[in-house]
Amino acid sequence: MELSLHDPFYKEKTIALNALYQVIDPELFINIIDLGLVYGLDFHQEGSIIVTMTLSTPFCPLGEAITTGVKNALEFPFPGKAVDVRLVWDPPWTPNPLLFH
Amino acid sequence: MADINIGRAPGNHIVLPFFGTGALFYLILSILLLLSTEDWSGHYFTPHLLAIVHTAALGWGTMIIFGAAYQLLPVICERDLYSPRLAQLSFINLLIGVCCLIPAFWAFQPGWMMLTGGSLIVCAAVLYTINAACTAGACTRYSIQRLLILSSAGWLLLTTIAGLLLAINLGHPFIFRSHLDLLKLHAHAGLAGWFLQLITGVSTKLVPMFLLGKSTKSRLLYISIILQNTGLLLFIIDGLIGIPPSVTPFPRPLLYATLVTAGIIAWLRWLADVYHHRARKNTDWPMRQVLLSFISLLLAILLIPLMHYSSHPKWVMVYGLFIFLGWISTIILGMTFKTLPFIVWNGRYKNLNGKIKVPMPKHLYKETWVRYQSITHITGVLLLVLGVILQMPLIIRLSLWINLFTAAVFITNVLRVLFHKPNIPTHGTVPARPIL
Repeated sequence: MELSLHDPFYKEKTIALNALYQVIDPELFINIIDLGLVYGLDFHQEGSIIVTMTLSTPFCPLGEAITTGVKNALEFPFPGKAVDVRLVWDPPWTPNPLLFH
Repeated sequence: MADINIGRAPGNHIVLPFFGTGALFYLILSILLLLSTEDWSGHYFTPHLLAIVHTAALGWGTMIIFGAAYQLLPVICERDLYSPRLAQLSFINLLIGVCCLIPAFWAFQPGWMMLTGGSLIVCAAVLYTINAACTAGACTRYSIQRLLILSSAGWLLLTTIAGLLLAINLGHPFIFRSHLDLLKLHAHAGLAGWFLQLITGVSTKLVPMFLLGKSTKSRLLYISIILQNTGLLLFIIDGLIGIPPSVTPFPRPLLYATLVTAGIIAWLRWLADVYHHRARKNTDWPMRQVLLSFISLLLAILLIPLMHYSSHPKWVMVYGLFIFLGWISTIILGMTFKTLPFIVWNGRYKNLNGKIKVPMPKHLYKETWVRYQSITHITGVLLLVLGVILQMPLIIRLSLWINLFTAAVFITNVLRVLFHKPNIPTHGTVPARPIL
């Protein structure tokens, strides 16, 4: 996920990314930001955050734990905002081999 | 695309009893093996060895595979398990069935206890097949896995029904054919139908998931399904019809074994391709155990011609050891720690993930014990095989003590996971990571 300095929600997105670093994929033992599972953060809607993300595999048995982790992590820095996690499979996630060496 | 079903596994109270009971049966199996040291120098058709084989196949292998299948079917098919209640009923039937069957074989009393055990196991197989068929039947994707899950369930049903008929035949003979010849059909329907096809199906989902690997050669898997089933079907039909060996100039059982072997090789080639194209270069001990188990499967296959041409029963025993201890047990010993900690972790920590610092699934068990368990298990199996080939009771006894030690380490680690108590701080969140 890329973050531009000119993004109107730069501050919010930085705080959100910082919180999402705490969500770890329990099998791969790497946080979901470094893994590249989070595709986008949308703060345009008043009172809610839309997280567009994927999973390492569509039938991931821990998928629910990861999406719950995203909601939990964003609850603390953004109290009162509803977190809407949207799972997408396109583009499919491809692992960065450097992460696993 | 929002609200995608990411697969909802049944509750932990449904699947965990299978894992706990399976681990207990592995310990019982190790004790029975130790009590039967003398049986390894005679024929394989003895009460003790029959009890041991059924403990391994049903109490240990099928028990854990049922639990893992009920956990994995919903995530593979992206829909809920058809009936958690049927899963619970299958557990009760399988447990009571095995508890009746093992003592009945051990004491060799083909009476009501053996028949009750056999009938309950058939019921367990029926319940599993209904659940698998109704869950996988509605699955529109992953057709290879669906085919293998359904075909393996069908073979399980056939195997258990054939086993019950053979048990009836022991007390009240009504099949006027060699019992040992029919036993071969029953055994291979279970090994090449139930175990092989289920392991093939599940591995094609789990191995890429754990290694972060992929293969584009899915044609190999279709070839594998066709060859495995064709070879096994021909073997069973030929055996049931009872065509004399002299009808063909070549030994037909070897032809059927070659077909199944070709199917196995196609599947292993697909797995090798996944391994070659994996992102995770570090392979952990549970996965190493799974990869090692395939060597044992190949060694068992190499023994088939020897079994066919030699009249010595020790080769059948070595074949059985490679299959049950070397292949199936090695896979289960490894995969237990790739599934069970995640199931328990999901139940204990899923809702706390991202909120507070929680242990990871691999912290729920001792990784070093898994390493010791792998080493002692492989050493035990190799020594037992050596002892049986050389017919040396001292080596057999030593290997069986090592095997008991492995079982003790395994069950202690499993209990550690099952009875894990969450260590949750009363307040506080994870400290924020500095922004880079």
